[in-house]
Amino acid sequence: MNLLILFAALLAPVLAATPATGLSVETPAYSDGLTLSLSWTAPDDAHSLILLRSDQGEAGPWHVAAGPWPGTKAEHQDKVTTDPTKTPPAAHYWYRLVSLDEDTAPPPEADGDDAAAAEQAYVAALLAGQPATAAVQGTPVASWLSASPGYLLLLALIVSVGGLMLWFTDRARKGHEMFIRRMPGIDAIEEGIGRATEMGKPVLYVPGIDELQDIQTIASMLILGQISRKVAEYQSDIVVSCCIPIVREVADEVVGSGYMLAGYPDAYNPKNVRFISSEQFAFTAGTNGIILREKPATHIFLGRFFAESLILAETGYVNRSVQIAGTAEATQLPFFVAACDYTLIGEELFAVSAYLSKDPRLVSSLKASDYVKVFVVVMLVVGTIAASFGSSFFIELFTISG
Amino acid sequence: MKRTVPLILTFLVGLFMVGEYFIPHYRYRIWTAEFLEWGVILAAAAFVLGLINLIQVNLPKVLKRERDWGYKLVMLIALAVTLVAGFTAGEHRDGPSVYKWVYDYTFVPLNATMFALLAFYIASAAFRAFKARNLEAALLLGAAIIVMVARVPAGESLPVIGDYLPRFMNWIMDVPNIAARRAIFIGAALGAVATGLRVILGLERSHLGAD
Repeated sequence: MNLLILFAALLAPVLAATPATGLSVETPAYSDGLTLSLSWTAPDDAHSLILLRSDQGEAGPWHVAAGPWPGTKAEHQDKVTTDPTKTPPAAHYWYRLVSLDEDTAPPPEADGDDAAAAEQAYVAALLAGQPATAAVQGTPVASWLSASPGYLLLLALIVSVGGLMLWFTDRARKGHEMFIRRMPGIDAIEEGIGRATEMGKPVLYVPGIDELQDIQTIASMLILGQISRKVAEYQSDIVVSCCIPIVREVADEVVGSGYMLAGYPDAYNPKNVRFISSEQFAFTAGTNGIILREKPATHIFLGRFFAESLILAETGYVNRSVQIAGTAEATQLPFFVAACDYTLIGEELFAVSAYLSKDPRLVSSLKASDYVKVFVVVMLVVGTIAASFGSSFFIELFTISG
Repeated sequence: MKRTVPLILTFLVGLFMVGEYFIPHYRYRIWTAEFLEWGVILAAAAFVLGLINLIQVNLPKVLKRERDWGYKLVMLIALAVTLVAGFTAGEHRDGPSVYKWVYDYTFVPLNATMFALLAFYIASAAFRAFKARNLEAALLLGAAIIVMVARVPAGESLPVIGDYLPRFMNWIMDVPNIAARRAIFIGAALGAVATGLRVILGLERSHLGAD
């Protein structure tokens, strides 16, 4: 009670400010069920505003939800709980907006057991001494689908790629031939493996430095399966240099499977799939060590690379090795183009596995993504023309929000 | 069975995780966060396997005095010292400790040294790349010279062209450069979708040891 009197004394000076008007609470479209949108008309004379929230009813108890903000603020997205696993959202919430004058103390910053009591005393003093809006109710509604046009179009594109892929796969099974253009960079991989075999030197494979869940690393692992199989068929060696431990474990399985499928399971040496370091430049130094000391005949850099790309590729150039690189990381492509013999640019990286396998099912999947690419290009051209004539239809259609 | 179960698991988990992008419901996000946490735990456990691999690859070479065994010995000693220092310092490793000393006075300078090498590698790679062998290479060379000169203060001070260089450089960076980058991004994004779907739909099986 003493605390309450203290706060009341601090807040009491003058009831100068007027309450905000038109406080309304809405559920945002396609919400996660944890957010409510509040808007109001800011009062002219409030120094600052503070938002109170209750999950029990319009009589309270009230808690400070957000603020204090400058008195001119007129909207807020309120996150009703930050950790829904511990505090699930309530069915309804009630809000009041309190206008504060210049002398009002900020909310107390107490910790532990005192925090709740101090907050209650502060809120009680606020409601007793400062003008506030009436309680307004809001109901958070969680949505099971983001049905905005942008999301639906994206979903439709993904489903289209999947559908086309299955359709082309079915056609391939029935014997329809699928054309795939020649890609010199991928053809060079087989030549590089042949060169390594002739020279009696290993092939060095670097799957980038990103985590396993990155799509470029996944694509790189798929390619590694095909390459290790070819290396085994040529009875050559492959050294895989990994920056991430879990990538090494997967690479170990993939290379082992490649040797097994080629019919040489005993030729596989797990010590050739190496974890170097999870630190970018320590990994670079270690891989450079492999390049300069073991002198691989062919270097294959496929995956996601960052600043180490040029250091690796230039060291490889000094080593006079055949170098084939591929990444979808646009900032590193110029380095690879400058220092490597062949570079796979962007989407080509994702086509390598299908191209190398020559499996009609996989080649047909390239056809599917090509058709969607045509659609995207048409949309780009039409959208550019429409935007040039002042129409924002396509801009809104492709906007992903929320 | 050895191939079917992973295929079914890949399909179900892949589809479930793609759903996170389209299903905003908080309960769904709780489930996907749980899956991601499993992934983090697996990745952390793999560090132990990575440590074992480092020792398996390097220790025998040191013991047998194979070629370049000295480098591997340095690496193993550094590994052991850092590991012991880290475990000894425990929660206080960010304060004054052997671990912090090793990090600040050994790792950081070595890291910076490796990064600094990049400047020299850029120079040597640029020297090779910027040769006007054909029309495309000549265009690349011309664009590179304009961007390089316009980016340094001396470029703006050049008589007559000094005022125009930064504007032309901005046009090169904002128009042809961005257009090419966006083309790469769009192609790569569609390739990524196709690769993801190939794995989820079970069309791509090379990682499972099957055709």
